[in-house]
Amino acid sequence: MTEPTRWLPEPDDSNRPFFDGARAGVLKLQRCDDCGGWMFPVRRRCQHCGSTALQWANASGRGTVYAHGQLQREYHVRHRGALPVIMAQVDLAEGVRMNTNLVGVSPADVHVGMVVSVDFEHSESGEAIAVFRPAGTPS
Amino acid sequence: MLAAEGTGEDAMTHPMNGAAAICGLGITAMGRVYRDAEDLAAEAVYLALEDAGLPKSELDGLLINAGVTNGVSIPLHITLGLRELNVLTFMQGYGSSAGQMIQYAAMAVANGLANYICCVFADDPLKEGVRTGDAYAGGARRNAMSGLYPVYGFMGALPMYALGARRHMDLYGTTQDQLGAVAIGQRRWAAMNPRATKREPLDLAGYHASPWVVEPFHILDCCLVSNGGVAVIVTTPERARDLRQPAVYVRGFAQAHQHDAGLAGTDALVHTPAAKAGPRALAMAGVSRNDVTQCQIYDCYTYTVIATLEDYGFCAKGEGGPFVADGKLAPGGALPTNTGGGELSSFYMWGMTPITEAVIQGRGHGGERQQSNDVILVSGNGGVLNYHSTLVLSPHAA
Ligand SMILES: [Zn+2]
Repeated sequence: MTEPTRWLPEPDDSNRPFFDGARAGVLKLQRCDDCGGWMFPVRRRCQHCGSTALQWANASGRGTVYAHGQLQREYHVRHRGALPVIMAQVDLAEGVRMNTNLVGVSPADVHVGMVVSVDFEHSESGEAIAVFRPAGTPS
Repeated sequence: MLAAEGTGEDAMTHPMNGAAAICGLGITAMGRVYRDAEDLAAEAVYLALEDAGLPKSELDGLLINAGVTNGVSIPLHITLGLRELNVLTFMQGYGSSAGQMIQYAAMAVANGLANYICCVFADDPLKEGVRTGDAYAGGARRNAMSGLYPVYGFMGALPMYALGARRHMDLYGTTQDQLGAVAIGQRRWAAMNPRATKREPLDLAGYHASPWVVEPFHILDCCLVSNGGVAVIVTTPERARDLRQPAVYVRGFAQAHQHDAGLAGTDALVHTPAAKAGPRALAMAGVSRNDVTQCQIYDCYTYTVIATLEDYGFCAKGEGGPFVADGKLAPGGALPTNTGGGELSSFYMWGMTPITEAVIQGRGHGGERQQSNDVILVSGNGGVLNYHSTLVLSPHAA
């Protein structure tokens, strides 16, 4: 038996809370202790106020589709046999725009402004990544 | 000389309107030229000097911009044996860089910092035995967080532009055929350009048959990948008139830059900074949009042309699809655009592609593709519609 192929490099201290959260089914984002602003991906300094007092906090996981398209070429082992992959930018309730994929919906039914909620996709090697599905649909 | 139509009678001439001119243009071979970027840059500079009829000893300024391979920088002046210079720097604004270099060079010569400034770009993404499509996909070293980009399929800029195009379709009803009209029109121009890489005819069926990359983009919605170098020499109008080539005057210019910074709530894939830079550049030139006789628009993707023309105000936001669908940009159309074939069909030298054709047209050297050149509007675009430069060029002094 060969080891299952990893999707991602090993997390490090800067981003481990995000990936631990994903494995546990929680979307974690950085929030500023000083101004309450959220940001993603990893920052060392608040994009809103410049503070370095950033903490990982649980996000709502709710958002709307800002933009979407369909990946028709394999660029990664995860795409194998999975095309088209629905690519999307999702505007989260926390004010963050996330690059992600949509699942549980056919490409023809995706539209700008669609309300979505976070879900998590697990690799055979035990990693988890955040994806989004139409709000109210079961995982 | 052009009247300042639509800008108010007797509008004050902007001090930079026509304060500089382009006197030299050097273009190397383009495409699968397996030489390194620095050598291509050096050749482009020598070609530009020869084109201008300017001895190397007169060149006293050098602005350098490297492409995706980052293969040319300050040491270029050593390679060129330029031992004394009055202006020298490396610049980076991605696809807006070339237009920016012309702007900084214009300001420098107009203010006496230097007499002849060469702006040079070169890139060598194509390697022997490597697929073209892999050249820009990027083999960046990633950590777990940046490793999410390939996991989700976000490889390079292409998917983001595709998402922008699809958002435009969702919001305004823009169609695949309308994207295709841009590619087809430019291919017709390319057929008249001996330097163009892709000159074989293209029709709508051929466009639709082209493989998908990220829907709504076919391969034919995407620019070429090219090795090559381009150099442009900027000087004062008086000096330009003493040289070999017809002067092409820098009449107006502007920049505008914006980014969503990863935060929600902006519409940066649809509303581009061209909306700010375009009107400012035209105002500097003392002309209105209606005076524009041709456009050279940065066309990394078909959608970029539509979004930029909308933001320049040639039609309302959202009407760019129908605007281009009737062949308006193509040979015989009312708004000749990317008359050399553009980045889609001629060659991809970032912002130097539109500038190269603008200089050829501005000199009246376009041959069978020559169009009315009184006011040439030129765009540069970098990032994902983030970084924008606009030039207004003309064979007419201010
Ligand atoms: Zn803050």
